[in-house]
Amino acid sequence: MKAIQVIWLREIRAFRGAFSCGVPVAAFLAVYGWTFVMTLRNNEGSVLQIQSIWGLSAAPWLPILSAVLTMRLFAEERATGMIDLLMSAPIRERDLVLGKFFSAMTVIAVTLGLSLLVPMLLLPALSAPLLAPASAAAIAATAFILLLQASVWCAAGTMISVLFRNQAAAAVSSLIVCSALPVAVYAAILSWMPGLRAQVAWMPLLVHVYDFSTGLFSTAVIALYVAATLFFLFACSKLLALLRLRG
Amino acid sequence: MLDVDHITFSYGARRILTDITFDVAPGEIIAVTGRNGAGKTTLVKILACLLMQDAGTVRLQGIDALRRPVKYRRGIGYLSEHSPLYSDMTVEEYLTYRVRLKGERALRVRRRVSETLAISGLSGMHDTRIRLLSHGYRKRVSLADALSTHPRLLLLDDLLAGLDRPQRKACAAALVAASSRASVVVTGHEIDEMLDWCTRVMVLDGGRIAALFRASDFERAELTARIDRLLAGPPSGQEAPA
Repeated sequence: MKAIQVIWLREIRAFRGAFSCGVPVAAFLAVYGWTFVMTLRNNEGSVLQIQSIWGLSAAPWLPILSAVLTMRLFAEERATGMIDLLMSAPIRERDLVLGKFFSAMTVIAVTLGLSLLVPMLLLPALSAPLLAPASAAAIAATAFILLLQASVWCAAGTMISVLFRNQAAAAVSSLIVCSALPVAVYAAILSWMPGLRAQVAWMPLLVHVYDFSTGLFSTAVIALYVAATLFFLFACSKLLALLRLRG
Repeated sequence: MLDVDHITFSYGARRILTDITFDVAPGEIIAVTGRNGAGKTTLVKILACLLMQDAGTVRLQGIDALRRPVKYRRGIGYLSEHSPLYSDMTVEEYLTYRVRLKGERALRVRRRVSETLAISGLSGMHDTRIRLLSHGYRKRVSLADALSTHPRLLLLDDLLAGLDRPQRKACAAALVAASSRASVVVTGHEIDEMLDWCTRVMVLDGGRIAALFRASDFERAELTARIDRLLAGPPSGQEAPA
């Protein structure tokens, strides 16, 4: 636990001063803000609630933010040689992975917190009828599903960054896995097994955000995200162990 | 204290180390030398748990490096060939981070860092950003990191490479001071200087131990001549694994 905390603190510090953190977070907030405004305009007069608009505007951009934030976690350590010092320290690979993963999740949680400022600042000017305040529970539920989704993207990105010394290559690979893979899997199921349409209707990620933001919780969805996160983190620690075999 | 028993290691089809067996007692400094590509860095990386040997065992005070890796690594201090560091940190911040990462108790961290800064001659530079340090001082910070938790085994890869004479002397002094309570394995090509403070010299050739000399058994000139003869001869070919 202590090792996780030490690594987490180090990574948070590195994020604070990193170009690869400030710029992506600012870019995320900009595109999310634009998406928020567009979604709000397109759904004026509809029953869409404010926390749903927040979730649906932020969720599509989370894979990109996660890929850019996690690209340096291990790729940079491998490029500079610091990975040797980390791997020779008396800590488990698991602790190393978790410390770095939690640091990326912390940045994402703070970014999502900042993204809440957009509705608070824009709504009074844009749409007075929608000003009815969303309940704290509804916002918490939306934040919960956004963080669950981000945890999968971050875990995948952390795992992929172990495979590369080049951060850009790690980011591109993470983006492919995080953005394209879920869509591809869903499309493949629908095209090859159209009979399963009803069974997999719950798979599109934005549906999960909408459901949670409106109070429709699903244990299966939570289990899916937790399992995917654990799988990627486990694979990440095994890949690190593999580095000892291959050098 | 350190027992290395019949270590063999290959990268794919290329055998790098063959049947390496030696031990290092507490207080001993063993200098490992050899041509480029002889396997010095690979040997140190195996001892530091950064590579896993194909066969053989490494034990530190009876703790097997493969069976109980975390406990084994708790006893080692490792200096990497290229001295990687976090450039955004100050010297003191970096050493504090490393001491905490190695599991030192919170109450002892500050004391360990102060001690290490003093031993390594870095006390006056504790708040200097690492990115502003010269190569020599970066190496000293790396050495300070390796020494910081009083390890039982010090693994120093190419300690003296790229250092000027005063820096080499400073590093050697810190190393000799630390060796009173640790076994030391140090690699390098600067055999003349290493003979000033090492107790044994291992010459690697083609991944095998070509010779293992006890420094006290020879006149210095004779020992240097023997090592030079070994290094001047034709290199042993590295064989494919069986």
